[in-house]
Amino acid sequence: MMQHPVIHLQVNGEAHALRLPADTRLLYVLRNDLSLNGPKFGCGLGECGACTVLMDGVAARSCILPLGLVEGREVVTLEGLADEHGLHPVQRAFVEEQAAQCGYCLNGMIMTAVALLERNPHPTDAQIRQSLRYNLCRCGAHIEILRAVRRAAGIPEPEVQE
Amino acid sequence: MTARRDTSEASREALLSRGGHLAVSRDPAGQGRRPEDPATELFLVMDEHGATNALNGHVDLGTGIRTALAQIVAEELDLPLERVSMLLGNTGAGPDQGGTIASETIQVTAHPLRAAAAQARAALLALAADELGVPVDALRVVDGVVGAEDGNRFLAYAELLRGRRIHLQLDPATPVKPVESYRVVGQPVPRTDIPAKAAGTFSYVHDLRVPGMLHGRVVRPPYAGIDSGDFVGNSLIGVDKSSVADIPGLVAVVTRADFVGVVCEREEHAILAAQRLKVAWREPPALPDLAELEAALRANPAVPRRLKETGDVDASIASAATAMRRTYVWPYHMHASIGPSCAVARMREDGITVWAGTQNPHWLRDDLALLLGLPVGAVEVVRMEAAGCYGRNCADDVAADAALLARAVGRPVRVQLSREQEHAWEPKGPGQLMDVNGALDERGELVAYEFETRFPGNRAPTLALILTGVVSNIPSVGDIGDRTAIPPYDIENMRITVQDTPPIVRASWLRGVAALPNTFAHESYMDEMAAEARIDPVEFRLRYLHDPRAVALVRATAERAGWQPRPEPSPPAVAEDGLLHGRGFAYAVYVHGKFPGTAAAWSAWVVDVAVDPGSGEVSVTRVTAGQDTGLMINPAGVRHQLHGNVIQATSRVLKERVTFEHGVTTSNEWGAYPIITFPEVPRIDALLLQRHDQPALGAGESASVPSAAAIANAIFDATGVRFREPPFTPDRIRAGLRPEEPAFPQALPGPPAPPARKRRFWTGALSGLVGAGGLALAALPWRPAIAPIAPPDPAAYAPATIERGRLLVALGDCAVCHTAENGIPMAGGRALETPFGEIVTPNLTPDPETGIGGWSYTAFERAMRDGIGRDGRHLYPAFPYTNFTRTTDADLQAIYAYLMAQRPVRNELPRTGLAFPYNLRPLLAGWNALFHRPGTVEADPARSADWNRGAYLVEGLGHCGACHTPRNALGAMEGGGAHLTGAMVEGWEAPALTGLSRAPVPWDEAELFAYLRTGQAQFHGVAAGNMAPVVEGLRALPDADIRAMATYLASFMQPPPKVPSAIAASVQAASDAAAGPLTGSIGQRIFDGACAVCHDPRTATGFGARPNLAFNTNLYSDRPDNLLRVMLEGIPRPAVPELGAMPAFAGSLTDAQLIDLTHYLRARFAPGRPAWSEVRGTLARLRDR
Repeated sequence: MMQHPVIHLQVNGEAHALRLPADTRLLYVLRNDLSLNGPKFGCGLGECGACTVLMDGVAARSCILPLGLVEGREVVTLEGLADEHGLHPVQRAFVEEQAAQCGYCLNGMIMTAVALLERNPHPTDAQIRQSLRYNLCRCGAHIEILRAVRRAAGIPEPEVQE
Repeated sequence: MTARRDTSEASREALLSRGGHLAVSRDPAGQGRRPEDPATELFLVMDEHGATNALNGHVDLGTGIRTALAQIVAEELDLPLERVSMLLGNTGAGPDQGGTIASETIQVTAHPLRAAAAQARAALLALAADELGVPVDALRVVDGVVGAEDGNRFLAYAELLRGRRIHLQLDPATPVKPVESYRVVGQPVPRTDIPAKAAGTFSYVHDLRVPGMLHGRVVRPPYAGIDSGDFVGNSLIGVDKSSVADIPGLVAVVTRADFVGVVCEREEHAILAAQRLKVAWREPPALPDLAELEAALRANPAVPRRLKETGDVDASIASAATAMRRTYVWPYHMHASIGPSCAVARMREDGITVWAGTQNPHWLRDDLALLLGLPVGAVEVVRMEAAGCYGRNCADDVAADAALLARAVGRPVRVQLSREQEHAWEPKGPGQLMDVNGALDERGELVAYEFETRFPGNRAPTLALILTGVVSNIPSVGDIGDRTAIPPYDIENMRITVQDTPPIVRASWLRGVAALPNTFAHESYMDEMAAEARIDPVEFRLRYLHDPRAVALVRATAERAGWQPRPEPSPPAVAEDGLLHGRGFAYAVYVHGKFPGTAAAWSAWVVDVAVDPGSGEVSVTRVTAGQDTGLMINPAGVRHQLHGNVIQATSRVLKERVTFEHGVTTSNEWGAYPIITFPEVPRIDALLLQRHDQPALGAGESASVPSAAAIANAIFDATGVRFREPPFTPDRIRAGLRPEEPAFPQALPGPPAPPARKRRFWTGALSGLVGAGGLALAALPWRPAIAPIAPPDPAAYAPATIERGRLLVALGDCAVCHTAENGIPMAGGRALETPFGEIVTPNLTPDPETGIGGWSYTAFERAMRDGIGRDGRHLYPAFPYTNFTRTTDADLQAIYAYLMAQRPVRNELPRTGLAFPYNLRPLLAGWNALFHRPGTVEADPARSADWNRGAYLVEGLGHCGACHTPRNALGAMEGGGAHLTGAMVEGWEAPALTGLSRAPVPWDEAELFAYLRTGQAQFHGVAAGNMAPVVEGLRALPDADIRAMATYLASFMQPPPKVPSAIAASVQAASDAAAGPLTGSIGQRIFDGACAVCHDPRTATGFGARPNLAFNTNLYSDRPDNLLRVMLEGIPRPAVPELGAMPAFAGSLTDAQLIDLTHYLRARFAPGRPAWSEVRGTLARLRDR
């Protein structure tokens, strides 16, 4: 069998050289070759967002991304958000707001929120909702997720609804 | 050695082997066996190292029950919460408490656990009293440390257990703490699992990797979502294993009756194998048409079961002032777990271990034993968390799939279902039909209530049992329809009946099972009757509600929401915001479990809606949800569950409906089964009544039960129209408001598209020439061979020449055809499919024997200019020498230099062997005589240097016309005005590059430049199909050459474009205006769920292109080919990486859905153009490719 050319990428700050077909979806490489469990398989069609990672700081759906397109790029997964000071502020906000039920969609919510705050540190509530529009949650943790993103963005809660 | 058990630290042996310990267990047989006996059930094990492991038969389905149970144990033991570990659904050691259903964990299964903890505490205190020499009464416990009130000696539980083995038989009657002394229970505490989940360190069953693990996938039968009928388990004809033989790492193809699976070393290969495996199935028979749901439900055989009868319903209705008969219809719903189900199985010497996300580990263990023919004791099920399931999803199915595959290959196998399989095969929440008849007397009192409900669902046996024939395909009739069938009101004459009826499609319990639909009917009907009686709907209910806690909840919720009593319906009025506003109320107490059942929490909703009278869109803007749960173990958890249930129920009521074609499920992804999105989430005001003195009740599902009726009642208040069949989608609301209107604007079909004349651009060329043999003979059909040479020394060529050659080869896209799939670039071997047979492209590397190493420049030039090979044979005009002939000598020499400087690759290729008469290459000579015009491009002195450079590139090596110019009957490019006016190539439309272009914003030089340079033009879309590799090839060229090509091509555009941005704005406005009336159509729903994530112009975020379809030329074309092909195949290899990839939808959307989507896209994004008339035929043709 032919040997595949090496594909280089950075994942969570670590360099990897992988001999895999260029059409292998990034998600399977992250999960099965690099043992990263943050990104989850949800639909394989880019519809639900459970597989979201950051590619050069931008949210990307790893379930539809061929590895060949990732050549030379920097990928960050949920595991790679934390630094020496501990969890990323968005992760902390999700914990503080208890923004999960089953938590399967949580990876996509956090990664999408990180990408949002990266490009827009002071989003409005409507912008937060719009940016998470194509991340699906079935348990109905939306209220807590919205609170978490507002908390991470330093936006005070408009009112206590209880 | 294989371990007998796999659950390392959670196994019974491990729990009981860590030195001194105290265990509380139960012997189900009542024989008092010790906890080491595998037949006993452990509830609690505490050890001398300070560990406290508590076991419960129910599992955490994402609801936070793990935390609440730990609170109960910590409370009874006076331990800090974080010191308690919960082991849930452990079949090796824990209790069998049935499935985790009906929100029963706290209300039912927590009781023995609480007693076990209290028992352990009492035993520990007795020990401490002994050690410390004080009476038990004098002891107190703080954080697991025991001491006398006034003493100075303290003993931790762990110390007390040192060296001891204390085994207690569970005594359920053990006194537990009084509520007044609670300090952990009743406090809002954070869930113990969320930090790890947010950090990515939590292991779901999806994340489990065991050594040597393989990946399996299943192939399901064509009767998607059906589990009963003769054909089920009897439809497989056979599999063709050779269809997957070339897949790397294929380990096995496994079949057993209708069960089919594949196992590979790598996951993506297992997925590929499952897609590629050729499986022959018998066609399923005609199945009930579920499009007409009410008729289908009525036609299903049923057995009536009377649940309640009081007074004389018939007489009271007959004599009543007002009688009213109503029917309510509930659609099929999905659990729709976000993660498709997954499991891992491993055979052991003495049985099997299966890691599963099951809702009912003990039932699953029994199922696996039955499936595999093993004793139950040989099967171990290890429950791990999975995506939330809300009822019976495919978690058990996939566990059985993994078990079958692991046994077949003898190695551990992980199986995850595809999104499409999870959607299609999960046991649905069934459609339900409720008939109500009732009566008001002359005073407006509700005197009679007759209710009949049909629920076609059962326990949904684990799929592999049915597919393999181990369990009968004759469906059992379930009794679940009776849940909450009796309304919570005291009405004098009442008759309640459930029609027990078998599943039509695979259907089982889903959150609020039967109770939510039944309550939809009860509470809608109460509202209808209140309006009829001209009594405020809340007041009307209170007349028949005599349970004091119910009354208190209804009053508190109404008050919290600021309910304004309305004795009669107010006429609908459009508010200043252009919307119709309304408010509705509903109440329920969720009664679940075997009839007569158990009541869980009381729940009441006040809902505010806003209805857009134009589009019919309903927004639920606010929900005031009141709940009386009794004691709340973790009020934060109850609040979270209430939020979740409100949101999920709102989603179900507004949006959700499983679709079927010929009886099989066709909602296979999130486009065809949309669920609520963030912008649609209502504000929620949760009113949790403080009832800590009352027993804890099931908290989760109750909040969902009033949802549908409350929303329907609010829509009635807003619009004056009563809707009796959810989901309340915009099309249904419009139809209710304006029944006379067509559902969607009907575009007139356009004229048929011009026929796709050629499958390949040179199709027809040879067939035409067969009859023109004379011509061929007249035109020098035979040419001499040119003698081979020794491969030239690359050093003879200047590096600049070689570099120039590299650019020219890129321009000519040579590698596109001369590289095999995943092959070495330029080494040939790509099979070009043609109607005459396959043409195998030759090896262009300078290998002397298998490549062009023996070709002199003269031979190379003759091939490029005249289409003659070195051996004198004519080359098929799939090779575009009619364009390449325009190349200058200097450029041809540079190309030759470049090719000869490459690394030779030996690559034996099969010879192209076309059948007679197409194998007669001499015929091509005649073709050349007719159509081949050798010679370079003449410069036009009237044009700019850029234009002339562009002409040379486009007409020569670039060979744009080879695809974009129509061809005559003999396959030659048409001349004159036809040049670059568009053509069909390999099933793609190469659009017109002239004034005939259909692009809504005319092409100009800037857009052409952007498109050719980056693969994407702001006002036109992205390069895909055969154009993607062209743009990829052009990357090698300098900007100046790309600019020249754009200049040249732009000169064909007539008339010259106006300001593009102004035109774009009007195009966008027209598309926006077209959106409203299409809202609620199937196409719109699919677009929103499947496409908009990348094609929503409002969300310009995320990696990759975000093409705005309002500007996409393909939407404006005369034919839908390109649009359909991209939807079917996606864009797996974009022109440049920055564009990202588009997934293929061929396996996810049905033909009917693709057709609906295509019509929607045309009407929405090309509103000025007529509907395509040949979508179905085109789709069928493209599917056949």
